[in-house]
Amino acid sequence: MPRRSSFVAETAAVFLKDWRTELRTRYALNAVALFAVTTLVVVSLGLGPLGAVGGDRASILPVLLWLILLFAASAGLPRSFAHEEETHTATALRLAARPVAVFCGKLLYSLTLILAIEALVAPLFAAMLQLPVESPGRLVAALAVGGYGLAAASTLVAAIVAQARGKGALFAVLAFPVLIPVLLLAMAATRAAVGGGAEDGALLQALLYDASVTVGGLMLFPPIWNP
Amino acid sequence: MAVPDASRSHSSSPLTSSLAWGLWLWVAVTIWAAFYYAPLAAGFIGESSRILFFHVPMAWTSFVAFIAAGVWSLRYLFGGRRTEHDRAATAAVELGMVFCILATVTGALWARIMWGAYWNWDPRQISITLALLFYAAYLVLRGAVEDPDARARLSAAYAALGLIVAPFLFFVLPRITFSLHPESVINAQGKVEMESRMLQVLLSGSAAFTAFFFWLHNLRCRIAALAERDAAEKEA
Repeated sequence: MPRRSSFVAETAAVFLKDWRTELRTRYALNAVALFAVTTLVVVSLGLGPLGAVGGDRASILPVLLWLILLFAASAGLPRSFAHEEETHTATALRLAARPVAVFCGKLLYSLTLILAIEALVAPLFAAMLQLPVESPGRLVAALAVGGYGLAAASTLVAAIVAQARGKGALFAVLAFPVLIPVLLLAMAATRAAVGGGAEDGALLQALLYDASVTVGGLMLFPPIWNP
Repeated sequence: MAVPDASRSHSSSPLTSSLAWGLWLWVAVTIWAAFYYAPLAAGFIGESSRILFFHVPMAWTSFVAFIAAGVWSLRYLFGGRRTEHDRAATAAVELGMVFCILATVTGALWARIMWGAYWNWDPRQISITLALLFYAAYLVLRGAVEDPDARARLSAAYAALGLIVAPFLFFVLPRITFSLHPESVINAQGKVEMESRMLQVLLSGSAAFTAFFFWLHNLRCRIAALAERDAAEKEA
C-alpha cells in the first residue's frame, strides 16, 4: 500500500513543478517583466521628463502603478492553468494531487510571480516617475496585500478560463470585475503611503478581500477543477 | 425556492392564471399610486422624486435576482448538479441584467435633473457598473464553453465568486468616496425617514417588482426547459 502524501507536500510539489517548468522556458518571467517595463516606459515618456507635476501627483501615480501591475499580471497569470490544458497535463495533475493542494500550489506560484514583478517595477517606477514615498513600510504593505489579492482572484479565474474557448480575451473580461475592488483599495492604500490621501482602513479592507477570496477559492476550486 | 419541473407544467391552472392577473393589477395600482397617491419629496426639482418609485424597486429587484442566481449556482455545484438549478441561475442573471440596466437608466435620468450630469461616478454608479460588468462577463463565459456540463459548472462557480465579491462592491467601495446619493430608506441609524404614503408606495413597488421578477423567471425557466427538450428530441 503506497504512503499517502500530505497536503503540504502536494502543495509544495505543485509549486516547485510550476517554477521548474517556468525556469525551463522563462516564458512568463520574460514576457511579464518586459511587458511591465515597456508599459512603465510608455507611462513615463507620456508624462514627460518632469513626470507628473502639481498637486494631483500623489493621487495619480498610484493609479498608474497599479494599472501597470494589473496588465503585467494578466499577461502572465492565466498561463499557469492554460498551459496544463494545452499540454494535456491537467489530467495527470488531477490524479497526482488533491484539488485544494493544486489551488494552493498555483496560488503560491502566482503570488511569488507577482511579488517578483512588484520588486522589479516598484523601485523603477519610484525612480523614473519620482514617486514621493513618505512611508516605505506602508508602500510595501500595500504592494503585498494588493499583490496577494491579484494573485488569489486571478488563480481562481484562470482555472475557469483554462477550460473555455478564447482564453486571452476571456481572462480580462472575467477577471477585471472581480479584481476592481482590491485594485481600488490597493490604490487607496498606496496613495496613503505617498502622502496623497488618508489611509481610512483601505489596507484592512484589502486584507478582508484577500481572506474572503482565499476562503471562497478553497471552496469553489474543487468543483472548477474536477469535472 | 422550488423550481417547477417544466416538462410537467406547461399549461397554467386557473389558480396560477388568476395569480398572474392579480400581479398585473397590483403593478398597475402601484404605478397609479406613484403618480397620484404619493406626495412629492421636499428638496427635489419638479416631479423628479417620483422616479424613486421605479428606480429603487428596479435596483432592489436586480439585487434579489443576482443573489438568487448565486444561491441557485451554489445549489447546482454542491446539491447534485441538477440541470434545473443551472437553468434557474442563468434565467435569474438574464432578468437581473434587464432590471439592472433599467435601474441604471432611471438613475442616470434622475442624476441629470438633480446633479446636472447623467454620469459622475457616484459610488452607487460604481457599484452598479461593476455589477453589470460582472454579470455580462458571466454571460460571455457561458457563450465560451461548448460542453453543457462544463458550461454549467464553470459559470456556477463564477456566479458563486460573485457572491464573495458583492459585499465589497455594495458596502466597501461606496464608503471610500463621497456620495451625493440620497440616504437609503434604512440608513446607518436604522431609522426609516420617509413620509408614510411615499414609503407605502415604495415598499409596494419593491414587492410588486420582486413578484414580477419571479413570475418572469418561472416563465423563462419553463421556456428554456421546453427548448432543451425540443433540441434533445430533434437529435434523437
